[in-house]
Amino acid sequence: MSTGTMRLSREPALLLSPGLLFLLLAFFFPAIQLLAQSFLTVGAEAGRFTLEHYAKVVVDDFYAGVALRTFRLALIITALCLLIGFPLAVVMSRAGPTLRTILIVLIILPLMTSVVIRTFGWLVILGPGGVLSWTLQQLGLIERSMSLMHTETGVVLAMVQVLLPFLVLTTLGSIGQIPASLEEASRTMGAGFFGSIYHVTLPLSVPGLASGSLLVFALSISSFITPSLVGGVRLQVMAGSIYQQMTGSFDWGFGAALSVILLVITLMLIVPYMVITSRVGGRT
Amino acid sequence: MSQLSVQSVVKRFGDLVVLDKFDLDVAKGEFIALLGPSGCGKSTLLRIIAGLERPNGGDLHIAGRSVTGLAPEHRNIALMFQSYALLPHMTVIENVRFPLRMRGGGDRETQRAKALEALALVKLDHLADRFPRQLSGGQQQRVALARSIVAEPDLLLLDEPLSNLDARLREDMQVELKRLHESLGLTTIFVTHDQSEALGLADRVILMNRGRIEQAGSPEDIYSRPRTVFAADFLGGANIIELDVQGSGETWHGTFADGTQVPLAHASDLTAGKRKFMLRKEAVVFSPDETMATVEGSIETQNYLGGQTRSLIKVGDIEIIALTDSDRTETGRHATRIGWRPEELIPLQDA
Repeated sequence: MSTGTMRLSREPALLLSPGLLFLLLAFFFPAIQLLAQSFLTVGAEAGRFTLEHYAKVVVDDFYAGVALRTFRLALIITALCLLIGFPLAVVMSRAGPTLRTILIVLIILPLMTSVVIRTFGWLVILGPGGVLSWTLQQLGLIERSMSLMHTETGVVLAMVQVLLPFLVLTTLGSIGQIPASLEEASRTMGAGFFGSIYHVTLPLSVPGLASGSLLVFALSISSFITPSLVGGVRLQVMAGSIYQQMTGSFDWGFGAALSVILLVITLMLIVPYMVITSRVGGRT
Repeated sequence: MSQLSVQSVVKRFGDLVVLDKFDLDVAKGEFIALLGPSGCGKSTLLRIIAGLERPNGGDLHIAGRSVTGLAPEHRNIALMFQSYALLPHMTVIENVRFPLRMRGGGDRETQRAKALEALALVKLDHLADRFPRQLSGGQQQRVALARSIVAEPDLLLLDEPLSNLDARLREDMQVELKRLHESLGLTTIFVTHDQSEALGLADRVILMNRGRIEQAGSPEDIYSRPRTVFAADFLGGANIIELDVQGSGETWHGTFADGTQVPLAHASDLTAGKRKFMLRKEAVVFSPDETMATVEGSIETQNYLGGQTRSLIKVGDIEIIALTDSDRTETGRHATRIGWRPEELIPLQDA
């Protein structure tokens, strides 16, 4: 194994250096600056330590609401992706190569479309007098024209569409590693089709489901283009607020404080999640 | 009433006919070996019996019930996979309990007690709370075996049960399987490509070739009286010798290409003309006595195998391999005289 293990000797370090340098300049440096900024005063007596930016977030109900909405949406989106993505991944793993390729392309397609076009697509479907509203009206399920634009439901729908491939593809990878004989064995032991999925496929897919849902959660909590286009100004999420503080109000200190809060809460959710799922997945 | 009845089952993969109107009846309590080279259809047959593969035609009955269209979970069978297929996310005891859980017999405690009992049968009850990956290959196999017998299936199916074990474990496991079969009386069918496993374990060996039964019978019968070159060759390997047969009544003899004549037994099976015969390697002896058929030859090469020695002896143009006790073997390359009892030359039915 001596040749196979990668000790951090000179050659690998050299290979890593471009990436590390880039990460240092483009991520760690701005992140630390942001962190510093969130604790520093601005204006006449600039540069002194202060907690006023954080106090503002806590005191102002509006921003607490934004934070709450952001995490609620991210949780709902992640849950929906899991609910839709796992069965889909199971079907894809059992499909023949042609069907699987078609399904993969179909599922990645939204990712390859510009966010503007995609959002206008949703406008056509969800908007007032749109396809959804018209269909429901024709079916007699609703009386007046309705719109899901500028609603949380609309945001969730649009986000699930974009983020689903992340979950499906990671889960598919996990399922692909389960030997077919395990499911067959469970069938011969009396488990039905769904019993076999529940008792064998699902628990053994936990690593894929975990990393996939983490990705989905992280991406949805930090996204702001789709939420701001579909949700509008009334339904602000944290990333949108930060953007507004930085570029609209030029309140960098407050924007930085919001960023740090977003980061901290995200870490507080993600770290225990990773620990738990790796414990479950580690048994495989 | 037979425990398993396979009636003219056909299986095709595309144009390839894997099973060609296959018939098989297995009595309750029998221990059957499906023996054959890879691609002969034995594993496919096992998977069809288990319900993991759908036949293109034919009928299947297990314990008197038609199961032809039934999903695996509705057949009361157990299949032990070649890879064992232990569920990695469950402990040993949970693995063994799984069939009981799925088939819904008794409460959790009763099931665990039964699972422990099955584990005790394979002497692994002390490892009940381990995970499969913490066990050795041999132990994993025992867990798989315990899991297969725990629900008292109508049929116990074993797919290449010994192939993943090293030589010593394989012998232990053979003993174990035989013992379990004798104590539980489960109707058992196992697939193997290893003739010694088939002969050593089964009550009845089904030798398969190209989707058909080549020959079926007791291990002794199939070993000592193969009917075809394929059967003779697959079971233990043998010298296949072509002789020109002449004679009538009770006296027959065969002539080698170089003119040497040897007496033949099995008179009732013989007709005049060219015929292939099987001569087991271990039937050949050096320094034959006068009751034996003898030929002149020369020792070409020898391999010392410990208790036995394998010698390649040239008789005219043909080569005869002899497997003899080492202390009764002539050594060194030289001309010699070998022989065998006339009834050891078994006439085969091939053209």
